[in-house]
Formats: sequence, structure tokens, C-alpha cells
Amino acid sequence: MNQNKFIQLITNALTDFKKSKVRTILTSLGIMIGVLSVVLLIALGLGLKNYLSDQFESLGANIVIILPGNVFNKEAGPGGNFGRGFAGGAQFESLGANIVIILPGNVFNKEAGPGGNFGRGFAGGAHFDEKDYLALKKIPEADYVVPGFTKSGVTIEYRKAKRLGTIMGTNTQAPKLFNFKIESGKFFTESDIDRRSKKVALGWDLANNLFADRPETALNKTIKAGDERLQVIGVIEKRGDPEIDQGVFIPYTTTFGSLNPDKTFFNFALGTIDKENVEALKTAAKATLLKRYDDEDFTVTEQTEILSTVNQVFTIVNAILVAIGSISLIVGGIGIMNIMYAAVTERTKEVGIRRAIGATQKDILWQFLTEALVLSFLGGLVGLLLAGAIVLIVRNFFPAEINLVAVLIALSVSSGIGIFFGVFPANRAAKLPPIEAIRYE
Amino acid sequence: MRQPIIELSKVSKTYYLGETKVKAVDNVSLKIMPNEYLSILGSSGSGKSTLMYLIGLLESATFGKIYLNGQDISRMSDDKLSSLRNQTIGFVFQSFNLLNKLTVLENVMLPAAYLKSKANFDVKAKTMDLLNRFGLKDRQNFYPNKISGGQQQRVAIARALILNPKIILADEPTGNLDSRTGPEILKLIEDLRREFKTTIVMVTHEKDIAKRAQKRVYIKDGRVVKKYL
Repeated sequence: MNQNKFIQLITNALTDFKKSKVRTILTSLGIMIGVLSVVLLIALGLGLKNYLSDQFESLGANIVIILPGNVFNKEAGPGGNFGRGFAGGAQFESLGANIVIILPGNVFNKEAGPGGNFGRGFAGGAHFDEKDYLALKKIPEADYVVPGFTKSGVTIEYRKAKRLGTIMGTNTQAPKLFNFKIESGKFFTESDIDRRSKKVALGWDLANNLFADRPETALNKTIKAGDERLQVIGVIEKRGDPEIDQGVFIPYTTTFGSLNPDKTFFNFALGTIDKENVEALKTAAKATLLKRYDDEDFTVTEQTEILSTVNQVFTIVNAILVAIGSISLIVGGIGIMNIMYAAVTERTKEVGIRRAIGATQKDILWQFLTEALVLSFLGGLVGLLLAGAIVLIVRNFFPAEINLVAVLIALSVSSGIGIFFGVFPANRAAKLPPIEAIRYE
Repeated sequence: MRQPIIELSKVSKTYYLGETKVKAVDNVSLKIMPNEYLSILGSSGSGKSTLMYLIGLLESATFGKIYLNGQDISRMSDDKLSSLRNQTIGFVFQSFNLLNKLTVLENVMLPAAYLKSKANFDVKAKTMDLLNRFGLKDRQNFYPNKISGGQQQRVAIARALILNPKIILADEPTGNLDSRTGPEILKLIEDLRREFKTTIVMVTHEKDIAKRAQKRVYIKDGRVVKKYL
């Protein structure tokens, strides 16, 4: 079949559709919705995955954690609670430090598959304490050892203003390791840690919200976190990361009271200035912790490992989403097949006439196949445009991305479905005995 | 001796209607010469239409052979048969069989869409020529259901003629027309035969119409009989 003939077939199909607009729209609707849902699901899945990857890259890895519950905490913004844990806005590259993260539980249990132990690890793993911290500090390769105690959803009060914040008990190395700057005031010092002084640095958003859009006025004010009265000595620059921007950074020793009665740490972040030392640091950290815990009870990992695991998890999640979306595509395809079968019956006479004046079986087959193809392609195109429009709107409050691959897949799959489900009715039309077709009334 | 354009040799056609075997055409032998005007006369259900469709390559014989220009059509592929229908045979039906979603002009040009190679003449010009001649020029952009029966049949005849067929097969061409238009259409077909040297096979149940042909074949219960009724 030459190009002109194919164009002619498409033109004929479009002419036919023009004469039955409502039916054409209804027929394509199935495919349209199918493509819409597949593209949207891909866009949302991909957007979320990329968003998390970005977060990991900027945050540092110990924040990894897929915690149960409120993933899309409104206050924290999208993905806010993913980073529960603590590590500030680390930009390792600019710092030149290489960070190793120690988490409770064996998160990367190989037998459980990717992501298998996420959650379980944290729930069932070790509760680190100050002994571990001191032991880790003795590792020669550990240029930084930053303990992390995190308590989120704590009501922070200043006079009448109340906001939810995250208590982050840590040490003085945190700003340097995670590369965040103090916008006004200062961070607490070693002596604050020694004296368990109640001095804190606030995340920018928290300071801004508590102090009526003038975060710099927070300095030297006393805020209330639970039962504790804390003095603000610094405000951290805005990082764009809800976790840090809502944080209350406090000497870890100070938390050893009403905030952290068990005197535990959620995690440790270890840094080494020389990249070559990362493996040695990991080995040493493991050896140190194995003296107290089982292999199952903690995880020593790097940002890249966690990132790749998260990517793996999301690849699977996306595949599942696409599979679910595909069901509607198949339903749409069956809709097309159904209508095409009806159309073949309805147009039996036409088939007979065309056969009588010289159409071959192939001509008839192509005529109906082209119609199915054009129907599903158009449906796919409209679905795609709608998905694009929805993504543009959704982007304002949820990460979503449409990529070229998704677009091409959607269009080729919808056309493919048109061909697949169009073949059967088209074949029936082609095989109609001409004489019966022409006598059909 | 001249070769018949169509030859049927002991042709039978059997249908099954459920369990019942129906012999629509029974052992018919027939020779149709080029430019001949043949009528097939028979009552309703006599098998005359089946016979015409066998001649028109729309139907294959259960037994016997059909030759078109000396060639055995039973060995031909669907593509070949379609191509022969396209270029050698023009059909005129009782119920016109135009496509209502196409205009008069598009209907007449439709057979050219199924040519396997480009036509060696200007199809559009020929269409206009035929429409002009049949007094349908001002109807070219009308849809068939918006014109009269006589006009529709003239469109169908124009469609049958567009690719210069050797044979016109007409199945009760006046059956749906009134007593004034019917004879006009018959005359048109007969004039075309003289002008284009086509062979005409006309199926009818009306003696008066059959009489107009050079040669008549009477069909009863699927068999050729000597005398009609």
C-alpha cells in the first residue's frame, strides 16, 4: 500500500467520523481515558521519584526514611516526612566531605529485595545512645560524627503563636557537615553541649511563622517546645527543605530530659573529608557497632546506596501504576472493538457494494483497520493533551513530570491497541461473502 | 470462431439454509458473446440473480466451470477476481446500491479508488462527462438520498461505466423505478451498449423487458428451460 492510498484511507475514515460525531467521540472516550490515566500516573510517579531523588541529593542520605503515616504532611509540603531523621540540607559535594550514615535495623537486607526492610528496620532496630556516639568518634577516618535525635510534630510556641516544628538534637558539627549557614545569630557551641544549655537555632520558616514574618527578631526570644523553655540564639538560612526549615536545632544533651527521656539517637551521620576513606569509614563504623549490636539491628550506608534503592522502589511502584492504568487502556480497546463490530454489521451493505465494484479483501481490511487506528490515535492524542493540561495544573502543588518517553509510549500503545482490537472486526468485514453483504438490508 | 466473453459450463450452485440444501443454480451451461445483449428471465426465487452473481464473479460455483475471456475463474485469487470486477464488469442493481455518505461525484469515481495502478485517463473528467451526459451535472455534490430514483439509477450506471467495463450486469434495473423512468433507463443502457460495444446481461422477471434483448434465457428452479412459463 502506498503513501497516497494510506492518506486517502485516513481521509475517508475522518470523513466517516464527521458523519457520526457522537459515536466517534464515545468510542474514542475509552482510549482517551486510558491514555489520560496512564500518562497521569507516569507523570505523578516520575515526578515523585525525581522529587525524592532531588531531596536526597540535597539533603543527604540518612534522611531516607519511608516512615509510616503522613507522607504528604500539609505543613511540611510534599514529601516532607520522607526526610524524617536528621541531616540538614547537606550538599556534600560543595563541602567536600563524604558522609556515611548509620541507621537502626538492616535496611538493605538483600533477601528481602529492594526496600524490603524499610520501616521494619527502623521499627525493630537498635536504639543508639551516647555510648555509640563516643565510640564512633574514636574512628580515625571519621572527621565528622553527627548524632541525630529527631522528634517531629512538636508544638512550638512563642506567646500566642503556635507552629508544628521538628526537634533536632545534634552537635556542633551539623552545620558544617550538612552545609547550612546561620543567617542571623549563631549556632550552639561545644560548651552549650557540655552545659546542656537550652539554646537553639530555628529553621527559617519556623522563625518566620512564629515571629510574624520577621525571623531576625527571633534572636534571644524564649520559645516553648513541649515543657521546655528554649532560648533562640540563631536562625538558619532558608533551605527550601521543609524538614530543616521547620527545625529546632538543639544540643543533643539538652534533649536528654523531657524531650528524649530514653537518651537515644535515631541515627548518626559520619563524614570524611577524603573520599578515599569512605569504605574504611564504613568498615570501621560497622565494626564499632557490631561490638554492641547484631548485624540485623543497624545499617551503615551511603547516600548513593539509599538513592538507588529508592529509585528501585519507585521503578516498581511506577510499573504497578502503569499496569493499573493499562487496564483502562485495554477496556478502551475493547470498547473500540465492540463499536467496530457493530459498525461492520451496520455497514455490511457498504462492504458488499465496495466488493462488487472491485475492492479486495485487503482493501476492506485496511479501511476498517484505518478507522480503528485513527479512532484510537485521536483518542490517545486527546487523552495526552488533557493529561498535559492536568499536569500543568497539578504541578503547582504536587511534583509531576511528563517526559517524551511517556508521550511516545502512550501514543504508540493507543494506536497499537487500535490495531490489535481493530483487526478482528476488520477481518470479519473483509471476509464477508460479497454476495451476502450486498443482499444485506 | 469468436471466443465467448463469458462461458458457463455445467455450473451448479448449492446453498444450505440451515439443514436444507437449496440448489439455486442447477447444471447451467451458457455462452455469452462480446457485445451481446442477453436477458435472463425468471420468477422470484428461480435462481436468476444467483446466476447473474456467478457471471459477475461475486459468487463461486459449487460445481462446473466459469470462463471469462477463456480463463477459468475458479483458480483465481480474491485479488484477481476483485480486479476483474473492478475493470471488466459494471454492476447495475435494482436498489441502486450507492453509498449515501458519498456525493454523486464521489460515488461515480469510487471504482477508480480500487484500481491497482493509476488510470490511464482522467477519471474526474470522465466522471464529469458522464454526469453531464446523464443530466446530473447540477447534482454532482448531492448525496444519493437527496435525488430521485431515476437519477440514482443513472448515477449507478455512470459508476458502472467509469472504468470502461466489457460487461454490464443489470439486476432488475427498473424494479424500483416508475413506469416512465424505467424505460428511460433501459434505453440508456441499450444506447451505451451500441456506443461502447459492451456486453449486457440483464436479469428481469418481466417478459416485456426481457424481450428487448437479442437473446433470452429462461430460468426455472435453477435450470435453463426452453420456454418461460
